[in-house]
Amino acid sequence: MKNNILIIGGGPAGLEAASGLQRLGYNVILIERSSMLGGHLASWDRLFPDGVSARGTLKGLLAQMDGVKCFTDTEVRSINRLEKSYNVILSNGITVLADAVLVASGFDLFKAEKKEEYGYGIYDHVVTNADLEAWFNAGPDSDTRIDKPKRIGFVHCVGSRDEKSGCRSCSKVCCATAVKQACEMKQAFPDAQVYCFYMDLRMFGRHYEDLYLSAQKDYSVRFIRGRVAEVSENVDGSLLVKAEDTVAGKPLKVTLDLLVLMAGMRPSAAGKRVGKLLEMPMEEDGFFAVRDGILAGQRSGLPGVFLAGAATGPKTLPETVAEARAAVVEIDRYLSDIFPNVKNYKTLVRERW
Amino acid sequence: MIYEGKQKIWSDYQKDIPDDHYFYVRSCIRQSFFPASEAAFLKITRQELGKDIFETEHHTTCGGIAYHSDTIPQETAMTIIARQFALMAKYGYENYVCSCITSFGLYCETMETWREFPELEAKVRENLWKTCKLEFAKPKVLVHASDLIYKYRNLIAAQAKHKLVNVHTGRPLRAVEHIGCHYSKMFPSKGVGGAEYPYVLVGMIEAWGGEIIDYPERRHCCGFGFRQYLVKGNRGYSLSNTHKKFESMEPYQPDLIITNCPGCPYFLDRWQYVIAESTGKTYGENGHGIPVLTYEEVAGLVLGYDPWDLGLQTHQVGPEPLLDKMGIEYDPARKFLGKDGKDIGRPESCMYLK
Amino acid sequence: MGRLYDLLMKDYRLKEGLNACINCGTCTAICPAAEFYRYDPRKIVDIVQSKDEEEIEKLLKSETIWYCGECMSCVTRCPRKNAPGLIVMALRNLSIELGYFVESEKGRQQCILTKDLCANILDYGYCVYPRRFDYAGHPEAGRVWEWEEKHLDDVFERLGGNLDGGGPGAMRRIPQEDLDELKRIFDETGATERMEKVRAAGLRKAAEMGLTEEEFMQKIYTDSDPKHLNR
Repeated sequence: MKNNILIIGGGPAGLEAASGLQRLGYNVILIERSSMLGGHLASWDRLFPDGVSARGTLKGLLAQMDGVKCFTDTEVRSINRLEKSYNVILSNGITVLADAVLVASGFDLFKAEKKEEYGYGIYDHVVTNADLEAWFNAGPDSDTRIDKPKRIGFVHCVGSRDEKSGCRSCSKVCCATAVKQACEMKQAFPDAQVYCFYMDLRMFGRHYEDLYLSAQKDYSVRFIRGRVAEVSENVDGSLLVKAEDTVAGKPLKVTLDLLVLMAGMRPSAAGKRVGKLLEMPMEEDGFFAVRDGILAGQRSGLPGVFLAGAATGPKTLPETVAEARAAVVEIDRYLSDIFPNVKNYKTLVRERW
Repeated sequence: MIYEGKQKIWSDYQKDIPDDHYFYVRSCIRQSFFPASEAAFLKITRQELGKDIFETEHHTTCGGIAYHSDTIPQETAMTIIARQFALMAKYGYENYVCSCITSFGLYCETMETWREFPELEAKVRENLWKTCKLEFAKPKVLVHASDLIYKYRNLIAAQAKHKLVNVHTGRPLRAVEHIGCHYSKMFPSKGVGGAEYPYVLVGMIEAWGGEIIDYPERRHCCGFGFRQYLVKGNRGYSLSNTHKKFESMEPYQPDLIITNCPGCPYFLDRWQYVIAESTGKTYGENGHGIPVLTYEEVAGLVLGYDPWDLGLQTHQVGPEPLLDKMGIEYDPARKFLGKDGKDIGRPESCMYLK
Repeated sequence: MGRLYDLLMKDYRLKEGLNACINCGTCTAICPAAEFYRYDPRKIVDIVQSKDEEEIEKLLKSETIWYCGECMSCVTRCPRKNAPGLIVMALRNLSIELGYFVESEKGRQQCILTKDLCANILDYGYCVYPRRFDYAGHPEAGRVWEWEEKHLDDVFERLGGNLDGGGPGAMRRIPQEDLDELKRIFDETGATERMEKVRAAGLRKAAEMGLTEEEFMQKIYTDSDPKHLNR
């Protein structure tokens, strides 16, 4: 009789934790509400800072999943806490008696149309970072909004650091994404002029600053320190963008053929629903609260419920994978304490010794 | 341009607009330059829509222009406003309708400030009692007069004698809508459609058969700027802002401009005259300007009122090109006559502007 | 804290308008005054939040704070929910209270604005009164206004107004007891005091400049140094 672990969410965090726990001998059940595993990673093209393939990375995460019971198109219908476990009824009718639950529900992308003054969904040539990744994957004729642009702009902080959009915090990954995509657009359209409109350039991670340098030296990307105030459409469909060059202290207007909005990371709506069922403590901005930001970042406020990945806040992929592995250790420790007599692979190995 | 994207936003910004029993306060600039517009508004509301809209002779300015020219302290403006509210309560009304956009913005700002700082409201209450022996009640609903016409735009459309359609070509007239800054820029949720894609005038145009133009500087201020116009040395600011809008809308060839703020139509009208006379450039066809109308004037034309009853003769940019397009009959000989056909002369012609 | 910053913080418009600025430039990007004048609202907010007494005093005496057109376009977009337009109003208010406004060409214009607008309110109960809106002073009002001015009563009658008449209607004569109430409000809430302060400061400055009051009013009404413009 092994311990059951339910993992909610089949994105990178869920996948990495699932394979790790499976190798330790637990009985792992993973549910994913969409029809595909991989979360947002499945729709991306190349990852920053070094341009490795997203598909390749996802393959790596999926390679170790033997033995994990995966259910796609499946959500949680109800959860009840019993004495030491959770009785979970899934939307496919199956009931799981979970001794530990890992919430890896990830994030939703900010709905860029809510930032009305940028005209997403209204003007013909405004797209988001996600749209651009999809375009890189699907090919040059796959999106009519991207039509041999000669002047391309990237808008940082769309739906992030913005009280008016209901999100004060930074989404962490958008600056690196914007710089990456700016370089990639220059590769696709070598004659184009590319601008990045930013407030602060948060290139905090390993090799990110090199990416920034490359964008300037190799691709002549122009970085303008000023938040885009308004986007309008000219009679020929090109976009008129207003910002201030705060370094020069002068307002400016730029005409562009394509504008890419860096939509930020918001707590997953589906995740929030699960959180409500569990009555999980949440922060004011809707991401899940952890027991201690430094020493217990994978523990939620509830016994037996663990967290990993963007469910607790904007995160990079390396951080997500690391958190998933940390969650594996935390869950293993927890189950060993609470269920000392249950024989998982590890305890069997220990006994043999 | 993807129209459905705008529709989604419009549905997010609905506003509570009362059905009847309105307390009406006038606008200093509307009264000075567009008195017939206010008369038309009252006539439409009372006779066409059958509503109870009440005006007392005892109401005054809200002080908005003085407030935004920084000539009176905030507390003075708030106490004048409190007095207006007291009059509303005195005459038994709770739905407040104001004719001026700056007023509307100031009323909203005042009530929001009172909500956040109740001690200020208490002070103003004390001031009002001390100076006027009046007590005030805040309105249950406070809207701008254009919100009312917006609310009843379909009723007006049902009674329309003319549509916003070019009768010679059968195509809808192309309309530029200009919203006064103080309508929704400070409090987007208090404007129909919000601040980015306001719907209050778009709704009227669509209901009456016209086509709306979106152009890059649509949201740009007309440039009144209060002190930036009122003081002669600053007037270049005002002119240059309006000029920017005209340069931006020119490629779209609008047939008319519709506005809901009292000051904006004055500026959009008269600066066309100044641009024409000083540079020779006009923005309409064949040396004409683009007719600039208040929403009351547009509603009146749609309902078949006589253009000269509506006060269109006091516009510097002649409305005739628009009237001709709409197939409205008018008597050019009667344009500048006074009441009962009194001959009161006519304005001099312009050098460039027809 | 500095004396000037404390005084500013008493103004409700600063309480409403200042929420910590991150210098993103959204306000300046959309500001009509920034396109026309040498003006940057972002810098003004940054100075105020620095609480630097010297810089704030400079600001209160400068031309800068008088460039704003109070359109509030900045309020719609600021990601920190600041309101530069309201902050400028608070600065103007303090500049007037302390008499600093006469140190700048644009600031001196307050003298004529205060005189004319307050007179309109107290004499007629309106901020703008057509008989005081002369064509000679407003040629941009067009030939149409030139004609209308000569026939004001007739035109108003034709258009369904009630110029200087009794009862309700456009531009009616507001009863004296209502105007008296406005005067009492002015007295109680500091507007009368403001009018007197502004006049006194103007007279002092006029004397300094060697001008009569009339000459001074004419000068401040028309003066415009090209250095204000953003070329």
